[in-house]
Amino acid sequence: MILKLSGINRSFGAIQALKKADFEIGESEVMGLVGENGAGKSTLVKIIGGFDDGYSGEYTFDGEPVRFSNPSRAEKAGIAIAQQELSLIPAMSVAENIFLVGDTVPFFATKKSLALKAKPYLEEVGLDKVDPSISVNRLSIGEQQLVEVASLLAHDPRVLILDEPTAALGESDSVRILEMVERLATNGKSVIYVSHRLDEIFKICHRITVLRDGISQEPRKVSEFNVHSLVESMLGRELQNMFPERMKLTRSEPLLEVCGLWSDATVEPFNFQVYPGEILGLAGQLGSGSGDILSAIGGASGTREGKIKYKGREFLPKSPKEAIKASIAYCSNDRKLDGLFLGRPIKENLTSPALGRISTYGLLNQGSEERLAFGNAEKFTVDVTRMGTEAGLLSGGNQQKVALGKWLSIEPNIILVNEPTRGVDVGARAEIYGKLREFANEGKAVIFASTDIQEITGLSDRIITFYRGMQIGEIELKDISATKVLEQITHPFGVQQEVKTA
Amino acid sequence: MSNSLIANARVTGLGFVDRLVRDYSALVVCLIGLFLVVFIVGMATAPNFLTIFNFKTIIRDAALVGIMAIGLTFVTLSGNFFLLSMKETAALCIICFATSMSSGYGFEISFLLTMGVAIIAGAAQGALIGLGGNPIVVTLGAAGLLFGLGSWWSDNLVVSFRRPHGAEWLGTGSFLGLPNITIAFILIAISAECVLRYTNFGRQVYLIGANRAAGKATGHENFSMAIKVCIIASICSAFVAIAFSAQVSSAHVNYFSSEFGSSGDMTIMVIATVMVGGNSIMGGFGSTLRTSLGAIFISTVDNMMVLHGFNSGPRVLAVGLMIVFSIIVFALVRRGSRAQE
Repeated sequence: MILKLSGINRSFGAIQALKKADFEIGESEVMGLVGENGAGKSTLVKIIGGFDDGYSGEYTFDGEPVRFSNPSRAEKAGIAIAQQELSLIPAMSVAENIFLVGDTVPFFATKKSLALKAKPYLEEVGLDKVDPSISVNRLSIGEQQLVEVASLLAHDPRVLILDEPTAALGESDSVRILEMVERLATNGKSVIYVSHRLDEIFKICHRITVLRDGISQEPRKVSEFNVHSLVESMLGRELQNMFPERMKLTRSEPLLEVCGLWSDATVEPFNFQVYPGEILGLAGQLGSGSGDILSAIGGASGTREGKIKYKGREFLPKSPKEAIKASIAYCSNDRKLDGLFLGRPIKENLTSPALGRISTYGLLNQGSEERLAFGNAEKFTVDVTRMGTEAGLLSGGNQQKVALGKWLSIEPNIILVNEPTRGVDVGARAEIYGKLREFANEGKAVIFASTDIQEITGLSDRIITFYRGMQIGEIELKDISATKVLEQITHPFGVQQEVKTA
Repeated sequence: MSNSLIANARVTGLGFVDRLVRDYSALVVCLIGLFLVVFIVGMATAPNFLTIFNFKTIIRDAALVGIMAIGLTFVTLSGNFFLLSMKETAALCIICFATSMSSGYGFEISFLLTMGVAIIAGAAQGALIGLGGNPIVVTLGAAGLLFGLGSWWSDNLVVSFRRPHGAEWLGTGSFLGLPNITIAFILIAISAECVLRYTNFGRQVYLIGANRAAGKATGHENFSMAIKVCIIASICSAFVAIAFSAQVSSAHVNYFSSEFGSSGDMTIMVIATVMVGGNSIMGGFGSTLRTSLGAIFISTVDNMMVLHGFNSGPRVLAVGLMIVFSIIVFALVRRGSRAQE
């Protein structure tokens, strides 16, 4: 084994991210590292790459015990890590980007000699047709991703870590990444491949390590897994009381119909309905379009065409303002960006969409503002003794409650939520789920988009699945299972057959 | 659950001093401290400092800059930075007012005409900013345009109108011993503060200033906001232009560029006032009350220097120092509040 970690513990405050986790990888092996959000994958990757040395446990590299206090030491030893965010400089040439940092920078170089030196690395990642002297911003994102890897190869690493390299890529670019990984492995490099896309894991990995709640499982050969058993070992935990009980639904007229709504961010127009009393889950990975369709309905992002049918009207909100007028609330996935006024008091946040309701002739009515804000705060168990403090001082979970709770102030008929519990701890999660269910039980509707499988399967009355900007299928309550959802959002076109034949 | 919440509140709830520091109010504390220092020094060293006449002078001097700064505060609080065309708007307005007065139209018509010009100028700049134009670039361009118009209209000459005229009550009149312009400053300061605190519009100013994207998401769009705040700032400019013209019975496009206030340039003085008052440059935090106090503070320092016989050079330097000081305190306090998060 070229790299081996055993009994790794790492905690952040009260949260233990890794509990006696083990990890290993052999020479010229591709090791898949999978797990849910928050399972500890990124913590483990950071420790391996020298970004984090606050752990306890043993770490041996090439037979020697090591402890990297910063990333450049790990790099010197031969461990390179390709982050999700690209670190290329767009205006500089491909070759210049490859020799940008560290001791690979030649003391003196002309553009020509640099391009010549860059050539072998580009060939290794499959970019042999790209001219090394053109600037990086003329390449596709997938090609840039490959250039990033090429710049890592210039350091001649023995272990390469790829952290979700295809998360932001389309189909054709993803294929190039996968081809590159296979080529690197045959050239003797060891690759740690982190991904949520199980079809990719099955295609290129030799062995798979599953992390769950910070505990690692014995790495096993890919052939010992199938999609079902892999998903089972990723999830496999009881969550009975996390999610509120579902009410019996009798469907009548839909409350809202989405008719051929084509968001700028998706490949095709989408069609679906939501019924009164229902929580509809839109399942999909990053870039699947499940969240984009919500912001399109809420008037917060651009659309090519399409309408919504709602309350006997056919229209499309052009701005959040129009959506609010129609009693449609859209809660975005990034509360720091456009969900909260961090520097303003909690009270003002909670009443922000409903100033019209708390004012007469343009004058704010302090009494009705207090009533509205306190009412909402109590419903969402936001601490009412701190209504005057800035929203920015709250914890993530409480911030999310305020970001979501403020929409109750407009008494909406439909709540659209993109990622209802991103960065939220378990306790607040259960509360948020409970509130959404309560809201739906009043005969209103909730549509939420999520990349979290548990959330999708546990909360939804019905699920619609998305894959890379396409609407894949619809899963009724009786058929809901994590396996089924995962299959549809990771490899809807029957990759399983391919895996078997491979 | 509720018990733990309350316990949590006790742990994280801040004491009075902490809250003062966190709310950037350290800046206010520092300024008040500095104000006292200046005051005591003034009392001890300048014999005429502590007279009622001198206090009236201080507030009177603060009035014109203060009124314009109150208007600009709306722009800054709403996150639209500054208007660099404050003095040029005033320049065009003063020419408009004086020309109208000298042509024999009465005060009322001249006043409305001038306000009309200011509203158009403000709305146009606001619309461009609201559409996504950079406030600095837009208003720098507008400044040239407005000044050019005023200069062309007046042939770059002094426009004067004969006394007695209908505007004298505003320029040189007084009520119960206080100059009317001082009374106007106080009334504008109070009503601006009430608008910000107690109206729907005022709340929108703060919300959009605190986070424009979140403002849009909750139905408060910056387009109409930018137009409204720019109109407010322009109207304040026009009011100052009218009051000044009424005082001197004449007008020239350069009245607000030199020989005016302590540092000569009205735009810079107005921006300095907003900043010394301790308003967040990024928007979302501050008040017109702070701006008013800033105006009085600058005017007090300036007054004391005049009494000590400093000429304009050191007085400009003092204003510059005050701006730098307020920026540093603001940045430090802000960092402190981040650390607490």
